[in-house]
Amino acid sequence: MSRTDVAHVTCREFVEILTDDLEGVLEAGEAAEIERHIVICRGCSNYLEQMRSTIDLLGRIAADQPGEAPTGAALAIFRAWKAERSA
Amino acid sequence: MQPVGIPAGPRPDDDDEQALVTALQRGEEAAFAELVARYGASLLRLARTFVRDRAVAEEVVQETWLAVLNGIDRFEGRSSLKTWIFQILSNRAKTRAVRERRSTPFSALAGDGADDEAAVDADRFRDETHRWAGHWAAAPGDWSALPDERLLEGETLAQVQAAIETLPPRQAEVLVLRDVEGWEPEEVCAALDISDGNQRILLHRARSKVRAALERYLSEGATP
Repeated sequence: MSRTDVAHVTCREFVEILTDDLEGVLEAGEAAEIERHIVICRGCSNYLEQMRSTIDLLGRIAADQPGEAPTGAALAIFRAWKAERSA
Repeated sequence: MQPVGIPAGPRPDDDDEQALVTALQRGEEAAFAELVARYGASLLRLARTFVRDRAVAEEVVQETWLAVLNGIDRFEGRSSLKTWIFQILSNRAKTRAVRERRSTPFSALAGDGADDEAAVDADRFRDETHRWAGHWAAAPGDWSALPDERLLEGETLAQVQAAIETLPPRQAEVLVLRDVEGWEPEEVCAALDISDGNQRILLHRARSKVRAALERYLSEGATP
């Protein structure tokens, strides 16, 4: 199962375990193995950077498109609710 | 906004939320306006992961506000106000999406896609006959080598959005809350009523697909 050539974990395994690694839920041993793999595998270190860029871009959507809330409609709902409540 | 001289509790938002709830229960419009300002845009973004038609998504948000108001007297603070509001939206949006049926296959609403969904196409890796089985056959490129600003262009962000819209709703929902809205994993689990492990799987699949879509887009540009 394990391959000594590229520090045990294969690239195909790496891309599936990456989120767990980024989320910090891997056991210390597994996380260390991932670390070793990235150091020697250019493809996976690129993949990791691509994933970081992807997450970074996702984070920019909210700032880029505040998608203005339909405040008027919401306030109309509030006023109708309040009127009914105090009726 | 943080009142001066009052030490922050374990969760700085708690006092503030409690004050909002109390004000809403008293029927203060300013409190409601504050809530809309805080969460209105996020609610709409989340609603649109289920019902892509903007007008319908706005209706779902409005139904959510009405449900929030109607339920505010019974709100007990067992979850945070924010989590509770998003729970309501998520449930309403799901009901609505099923009713509309739109173009989404029902399986995409019911499930999270096949269990064997791979983050990267299998043919990108060396197969079992190869000495380096499981290692890259077509390795990902180095995005830092792209022309300056390529990643930051508006069109790149539009591609990210388009990719979100093609995700199964469950995946889109987790991705939007985690990576677009910046929620903590625990908050997402509470609002969507899913386990931590499930949350991570949905996030993993969603992020992997968005990355793959970006890779396709950016490599098209690299070799015109």
